[in-house]
Amino acid sequence: MKEFKQRTNYRYVGTYRPRVDGWEKAGGSAEFFDDIALKNRFPGLLHARVLRSPYANARIRSVGTSEAEKLPGVHAVLTYRDPEITALKPTNFAWTPFFSISYKRMLWPTYKDRRILSDRVCWVGDEAGVVVVAETAAIAEDALKMLDVDWEVLPFVLDPLEALDPNAPVIHPEVNPDGNKIPTSPYSESDVFINRGDAGKALSEAEIAIEARSLYHNAEHGCLGTRGCLMTWEKDQLTCWTSHYQADQTRMHITQMLGLRMDKVRVINPYIGGSFGRGNVGEQGYFIFTALLAMRTGRPILYKHTRREDFHDTRTAVSYTCRMGATGEGKITACHFQSLGDSGAYVDHSMAAVDFVPREFAEATLAHIPNLRMETVSAYTNKIPGGCMRGIGNNQINLVFGIALDVLAEKLGKDAVELSIQNFGHEWGEVPDKSLEAVLQEGARRIGWKDRTQPGAGPVYDGAKKRGIGFSLHNGWHAAWQELPRGHIQVSVRINPDGTVILDAPTAETGPGSNSCGVFACAEALSFLGVGPDDITWLSKTDTQRGLKDQVQTDSGVAYVHAEMMPRLAEKVKEQVLALAAPQFEVDPDELVVEDGRISVKGNPGKEMTVEDLFWEGDLVPIAATVSETLPEEVTGTPFCATFVEVEVDTETGAVQVLKSVVIHDPGTVMYASGAEAQQVGGQAMAIGETLTEEIVYDKATGIPLNFNWIDYKLPTMLEMPEVEPVLQEVWKGAGEYGACGIGESVTTCAPAAISNAIYNAVGVRVSETPFKPERVLAALNGRSQGELNREPK
Amino acid sequence: MSERESAAVQDWARSIEGDLEKNNAHKISIRINGARHEFESGREIQPMDTLAFLLKERLGLTGLKVACDEGACGACTVIMDGQAILSCMTLAVEVDGHDILTIEGLENDDPVVRSFAEQCEPGYGTAMQCGFCTPGFVMAAKAVLDENPNPTTAEIKEALSGNLCRCGCYAAIVRAVQAAATRMNAGRVEK
Repeated sequence: MKEFKQRTNYRYVGTYRPRVDGWEKAGGSAEFFDDIALKNRFPGLLHARVLRSPYANARIRSVGTSEAEKLPGVHAVLTYRDPEITALKPTNFAWTPFFSISYKRMLWPTYKDRRILSDRVCWVGDEAGVVVVAETAAIAEDALKMLDVDWEVLPFVLDPLEALDPNAPVIHPEVNPDGNKIPTSPYSESDVFINRGDAGKALSEAEIAIEARSLYHNAEHGCLGTRGCLMTWEKDQLTCWTSHYQADQTRMHITQMLGLRMDKVRVINPYIGGSFGRGNVGEQGYFIFTALLAMRTGRPILYKHTRREDFHDTRTAVSYTCRMGATGEGKITACHFQSLGDSGAYVDHSMAAVDFVPREFAEATLAHIPNLRMETVSAYTNKIPGGCMRGIGNNQINLVFGIALDVLAEKLGKDAVELSIQNFGHEWGEVPDKSLEAVLQEGARRIGWKDRTQPGAGPVYDGAKKRGIGFSLHNGWHAAWQELPRGHIQVSVRINPDGTVILDAPTAETGPGSNSCGVFACAEALSFLGVGPDDITWLSKTDTQRGLKDQVQTDSGVAYVHAEMMPRLAEKVKEQVLALAAPQFEVDPDELVVEDGRISVKGNPGKEMTVEDLFWEGDLVPIAATVSETLPEEVTGTPFCATFVEVEVDTETGAVQVLKSVVIHDPGTVMYASGAEAQQVGGQAMAIGETLTEEIVYDKATGIPLNFNWIDYKLPTMLEMPEVEPVLQEVWKGAGEYGACGIGESVTTCAPAAISNAIYNAVGVRVSETPFKPERVLAALNGRSQGELNREPK
Repeated sequence: MSERESAAVQDWARSIEGDLEKNNAHKISIRINGARHEFESGREIQPMDTLAFLLKERLGLTGLKVACDEGACGACTVIMDGQAILSCMTLAVEVDGHDILTIEGLENDDPVVRSFAEQCEPGYGTAMQCGFCTPGFVMAAKAVLDENPNPTTAEIKEALSGNLCRCGCYAAIVRAVQAAATRMNAGRVEK
């Protein structure tokens, strides 16, 4: 494997090193929520279980709780009729993506379609208006079965096109009485949210015009750690341990929904068993009712999802049509994207998938296309809600974009890589874009792009298998300027008299290794003290009672947002060290230098003193420094990423196997090489899973999801993984010390389109509805319809 | 079914029979990480309690993780009499008379733990990200290596294909197992 070479030679940042939490995690001592929320840690712990809707659309007319309440071991039954619940404000579960925000300023105020513990339920599995608290989870489950629920079963609709039909059952008549079309995003003036030039005219006048369609399904995060919280209420203090990952924002939700004081609510995040964006939606319901039950019973209350229940929100399903027009020389003159979003039962962040993210794609990749139109319609359906998953709408739009580009290149008789370099770039830069050029050329070289055969024209392997190569590209996102809404970034250090460091850079460690990035950047900045990563202890639990605001693990930005503060922090430390040392040397502090743990007078290296000796000479009070500053505001655009794959298609069975993936990112500055490569390689497990094997299957007669388990919802194992080659290149640079850009989300973005294009290159037919399962591939090979695509709205 | 597999099934059937007989005695005796533990059946251990529940929730051995609770992911893997088993699919009463090793029972400087912890080789990434699946992988890998000190890549993949890592660190995990094999073999030579 080729090692990544740094643009700037840092001592610790951007290097290949073990994770700072490697020993803890490998040895089983890293503490996760599940390891804390145990009866042996919380004597008196009670289990809360919520009633789940057996119907796709229904209302509770009434519920009798007396039998359930009599069951030995049951301590409380909370229902939608109780005053604590009726007093709650309507809400949505998508207040915020990554910054602190109040109820009043919530991100999607237009869509207050959720009520906590509601008598209305909108999908099979929806939290319905009753929670039971009992000595064991099994007793609570038994009690739920003893409830006398009178359900008013309502007609339901699973298909977004059918949902838009004027005769379809209206899913949220209380807030959206006119039908299931979701109102236009509050950030757009109309459903046509980008309309530059005249795309319609340009398309009709284009020398070459093509159309591509795609459908991206609801993939699920599949985090190994399920969601939950444990709450205690003691002396007016509510304490919440949770596997959710936004300590400060969770506190915001609880205090704003329950009218509690912020100092009386404490939220603690231990290590988290994966997130991939899941926690951005659908969370407040259980926080609120668990808090209410802790307050009512005075006992520790544990609410935790089973594996089935943790199928709770998904990547929003979106189908697209994309038209592209170009001159014969390959200048793309027009693009027109039309999407149909399927938000499922609640909007949550779904509008970000069809509106916000395509807008970002328009400014960061399609900025130099003169005529651009983007429009969307989204519908409620009685299915699991959509939301964020490793990005929001990036995979979905990339699928149709990547395919359209491939179709256009073929029709033009041009190389798709060259066509991309010729046309795409961000709003703040020129075309050709240096980052895009570097990424695509390196990827093409490594996969053997130039040697690919014509579609379907390659050799046959093992009697019936054919191979093909494909790629797709996308802009990176989450450069510092895009993370400005985070506001002040807070970090602090305490340097002990023995030179060891305690670093408080609060963030819940969900996997991406931002704790390692923080420690390496801290060591880099404090290397004048002779400090290395092993001398630094990172405080692993975020805790709202500790002092600093946590950085939310979204946007894969925490890899650098804390790191950007470290040089500023180091400056404050250095100032204090030199002030301490000055009397020892009988000079002014600015006459001193400190390097590698040794202090001396500038230009007079003869007399020197170690920092350690200096500390032990003094009052033994640790040196403490805190920084609370914002990220640089300069708008720098974004870099690019791409995925190139080689697949093998079995023309007899329709099975697709990815043989090799080359995953290339320009992250500006690599903050941690081993961590970044882990993301690049690991992201392919998720991307290949959702492209080829993962699928939620519904019983269309009842709306019941049939495979909310890991036997039938097929996540890739080691055996399904291809050879993955991670490639890191530092070409673009953002503002700030490091000028990095997150990559954790974009590692999955390009694979689905790349695989679709590779299938086309192998067998000469397009498969564009995920997952690309054998029956769809066979249908395409036999010229039949693959499923839901190619239908027009009524 | 191969001869070896069919013998294993028969052994298993006999062991269950034996367990049921012993359960009547209402004393369950399990050796856990080298120490013998006795539980009164029906009082300290319920018939429906899984081994995962006993180890994690009763004894506080929290290294193992219960991620699916239905045998689909391998996060709860522990070692019984030298074999990797899923503790969420094993009833506590079935383990009567057996020897259980959990991750807490490994040596401080265990070569498998070290290899997973330190994996950072260019081109492969780290052997864990969120780390929730890692103790299960470590125990499964340890059982493989104890039985086969020089597994091929294909053998490692086959042996660990019952363990899910959603962060997708599979390539680095294979490298970590190979590194652990090298370390363990070097250790054997020294001894």
